[in-house]
Amino acid sequence: MSDLLIIGAGLSGLMAAYTAVKAGMRVNVAAKGLGSLHWCAGTIDVLGYTAEQPNVPVKRPLEQISALVETHPQHPYALLTNEHLAQTLATFVALSKDIGVPYGGANNPGDNLLLPSPAGAARPAYLAPKGQLAGDLSRTEPMLIVGFEGLRDFYPELIAENLTKQGYSARAAFLPKKLATNRRDFTNVQLAQGMDSKEQRALLGPALKKLVRPGERIGLPAILGIKAHATILAELERETGAPIFEIPTLPPSVPGVRLYTALRSYLQGLGVHLTAGMEVLTAKTVAPNGVPGTVQWVESATSARPLKLLADKYLLATGGILGGGFNSEMNGRVWETIFDLPLTVPQERADWFQASFLSPQGHPVFSGGVSVNKAFQPAAENGQPLYANLWAAGKLLAHSDAIQERSTEGIAIATGVAAAQALSS
Amino acid sequence: MHKLETEVLVIGGGATGTGVAWDAALRGFKVILVERRDLTHGTSGRYHGLLHSGGRYAVKDPHGAAECIAENQILRVTHAHCIEDTSGFFVVLPEDEGEYPDKFKAGCDAVGIPCTEISVAEALRREPLLNPRISRVFEVPDGSSDSFLAAHATAQAARNAGAQILTYHEVTNLLLAGSESDRRVAGAMVHNVVTGEDMEIHADITINAAGAWTGKLAAMAGIEITIMPSKGTMVAMNHRLVNTVVNRCKVPSDGDIIVPSHTVCVIGTTSINVPDPEPLRIEPWEVQKMLEEGDKMVPGFAQARVLRAWAGVRPLFQDTYTSGKGRDVTRKLALLDHKEREGVSGFLTITGGKWTTFRLMAEATVDDICRHLGTERPCTTATTPVPGAEQGHYWLGHRLHDIEENRLQSELVCECELVTRTMVENAARRNPLLTLDDLRRDVRLGKGPCQGGFCTYRAAGILHEMKKAGSWEVDMSDEAGSTAKWEVAYLQSPAHNLTSDADGHQSSEQPANTADAFNPNLLLRDFLQERWKGVTPILWGRQLKQERLDELIYMSLMNVDHLPDKGLASPVTDFYHFDTRPTVEEVADV
Repeated sequence: MSDLLIIGAGLSGLMAAYTAVKAGMRVNVAAKGLGSLHWCAGTIDVLGYTAEQPNVPVKRPLEQISALVETHPQHPYALLTNEHLAQTLATFVALSKDIGVPYGGANNPGDNLLLPSPAGAARPAYLAPKGQLAGDLSRTEPMLIVGFEGLRDFYPELIAENLTKQGYSARAAFLPKKLATNRRDFTNVQLAQGMDSKEQRALLGPALKKLVRPGERIGLPAILGIKAHATILAELERETGAPIFEIPTLPPSVPGVRLYTALRSYLQGLGVHLTAGMEVLTAKTVAPNGVPGTVQWVESATSARPLKLLADKYLLATGGILGGGFNSEMNGRVWETIFDLPLTVPQERADWFQASFLSPQGHPVFSGGVSVNKAFQPAAENGQPLYANLWAAGKLLAHSDAIQERSTEGIAIATGVAAAQALSS
Repeated sequence: MHKLETEVLVIGGGATGTGVAWDAALRGFKVILVERRDLTHGTSGRYHGLLHSGGRYAVKDPHGAAECIAENQILRVTHAHCIEDTSGFFVVLPEDEGEYPDKFKAGCDAVGIPCTEISVAEALRREPLLNPRISRVFEVPDGSSDSFLAAHATAQAARNAGAQILTYHEVTNLLLAGSESDRRVAGAMVHNVVTGEDMEIHADITINAAGAWTGKLAAMAGIEITIMPSKGTMVAMNHRLVNTVVNRCKVPSDGDIIVPSHTVCVIGTTSINVPDPEPLRIEPWEVQKMLEEGDKMVPGFAQARVLRAWAGVRPLFQDTYTSGKGRDVTRKLALLDHKEREGVSGFLTITGGKWTTFRLMAEATVDDICRHLGTERPCTTATTPVPGAEQGHYWLGHRLHDIEENRLQSELVCECELVTRTMVENAARRNPLLTLDDLRRDVRLGKGPCQGGFCTYRAAGILHEMKKAGSWEVDMSDEAGSTAKWEVAYLQSPAHNLTSDADGHQSSEQPANTADAFNPNLLLRDFLQERWKGVTPILWGRQLKQERLDELIYMSLMNVDHLPDKGLASPVTDFYHFDTRPTVEEVADV
């Protein structure tokens, strides 16, 4: 029995766990898998584009959000004041330093960073891990993008050419694959783990030193270690005399794994019980007097038997369609998998998609979700909570397409922190 | 204007056209084949991949059934590597009991299709997911074919015999000669859709093998051919739920066949008359019908993960057009001699038929070419294996075996389909390639569960590196046809692609004027949209989740929607942008 059971170990669930445990609650986290950080670029995207100007990256996201919530009063960001949103992000930045994976922002406070994507596009992101900051395209040093021959997830020529086309100074170079790994079969996370070994990375600094020209900064695929990442960055900068930055590439995401791993062990140190492989399947709820009802327990099925998980309060942070919080079927039904909460998703497949995959309007099926009241409780239209002891945060909240607007991590942090504050107050 | 001379001009790069080019070249004719897109862009690349035993036609069309079994046995030798020897079951479901099964057995016996009734227990032992309520099972020599590989191998055989194969060359008009009363087709005006150049190809005889576009081509000579395009929708499942072709033992109808194909299985088809061969909309009821019918043969089928849906058209020919249903129109080949029919000489149309009989269609056509050109040369295709056939039949573990034997794990560009980097590089160098979709046809890139989620970026990156190094010299000019490099028989085999043609290669030729078309950002956008087109009809459940991951990768991580060169388009960009979203149900026009 705990005070709070958080379902989901993505960024919103973990930030909620941090907030709640700091508020003195006994917190359990039950997660199906490893959480969505393993997919992401590892940056904190707060707002990158708006539907009104889909081709212009947002320059100052917090200011833009003030305008956004005026026109989109149901947007998840509208659940917080702008000051509150800024506080939650500051909480994250402070926490990132405490856990040893420090994040920072643009030189001009409040601006979005523009970071090179693995395709060479300019990605707007509000915060980034220290190892990505030197890639900010507002800086003027020319870029040397270095890849490893035969590495399938990183194409420096493509990155450099596209950056050049956009007016940035960039060139590409290759190093032999053996400088990155001797493995035959690898993921990017395994490459990064290999780099943790001093022997594996011994030749990398000198090789980069030979390639780099004075005044250049060096972009590398995000494989510079997991545990020894900070050391490797400092080492390489010292050996080459150049600023080093990582470019995150295809999942599994190394920067995401670093953040998840550090955050998880830090939370465990604070007494949070986090169990992965604990998929919550159903809930037992009662509503003797109508709305609001009460969640009595939720059930998981580990070790092939039903397992009751009990808490005073429950926070649902299972994500949307991608995270697994929602499922869908051919007849157009989309449902929330544990409580069958009402969703704003269109219940006709004919209304789910735009004609074009990359449509700037986003596909309607992905912006639907759970409606909550100002206290982050899943609620009826009149604001009445559906269950007295249930809260929700993160991607499953309705009224935004976070991938389209590049707000995934911003919404996760803001709503995860704010929901935990609401339920612990 | 540029002019080419040939004896035989073949229009259409599907199974039939490549077959005609192969046969004619083997008989010593000078041959040029033109195809408006990539080989198998049309129906040959959009069918379920069944190598017919003839069983499906045994009751209704014994002549067609006899053709099928004869060709089945020939193709198993000439195109061995394009065929998986899956065998086939005709199963009798409770609702299918009656006279048909006995008629079916008698029909097979009458035309010589090896047909054995096996016990239900034996069938269930071999296919445990089959509906246990089936009452009878007949086994016939059905197979599973790879129509992409077969067209490539046939085209290579044609090239080896001297033919020129020109892809991305679209016929804009036929060259007409002679007087009103003595009209002759003297070749065609051809537009190179990549370079934008036009040319005249003069030919002694022109073969219309344009499949679903047959009628449109004939109209250029003022000839009316009533082709009834009959749309068939197919659905690919994420798993190979059966290892044997499974047919319903009843009068053919919608969704009555499941064909295992590489790592997946395909259920087909519907049959709906459509006005145009392209683009083709897939209606939600069609997908639902396929899944419901599949569920009758394999209980649980409808709950399995769906990978993709597509549609092709059968170019059905009927001399006197009636508004009959597609399946009732003859599937026999139709060879039309326009001199006899309309008094237009130098022009033959070959249409109808089915993939299994493509070689026979080609033989009949080239026999007629000989007659028209006043020469007698015997057909040898029935006994001439195409390059690659010596590898023997395809088997499911073939790629995995190659990867493990040669320790190619780190080389995998597409984990779903086990495509290595050198396979991509060699395909790009050996087969004229304009889009990543062409690479999909060459090596199966992006056909697996993630539908291009991971390999689209990798393939675009690799092609871009090759282009930078001058080792992707995409020669789309008409001289390209005769190069010996065009070596595609082993594109699909990891073990035959251990080393890259691109290594150390320095191009001495100037690349064609193709700067726009071979842009990596365009490659990315085109292929993402191409994959989207095929998944939108079936996006729900786990495949919808997968699609959202692909969005995360290409929008959130890559920011592909904000890459430069937004205005660029390839000749197929518009085709990929055809809207295939599910619609509110409409009543089908059948």
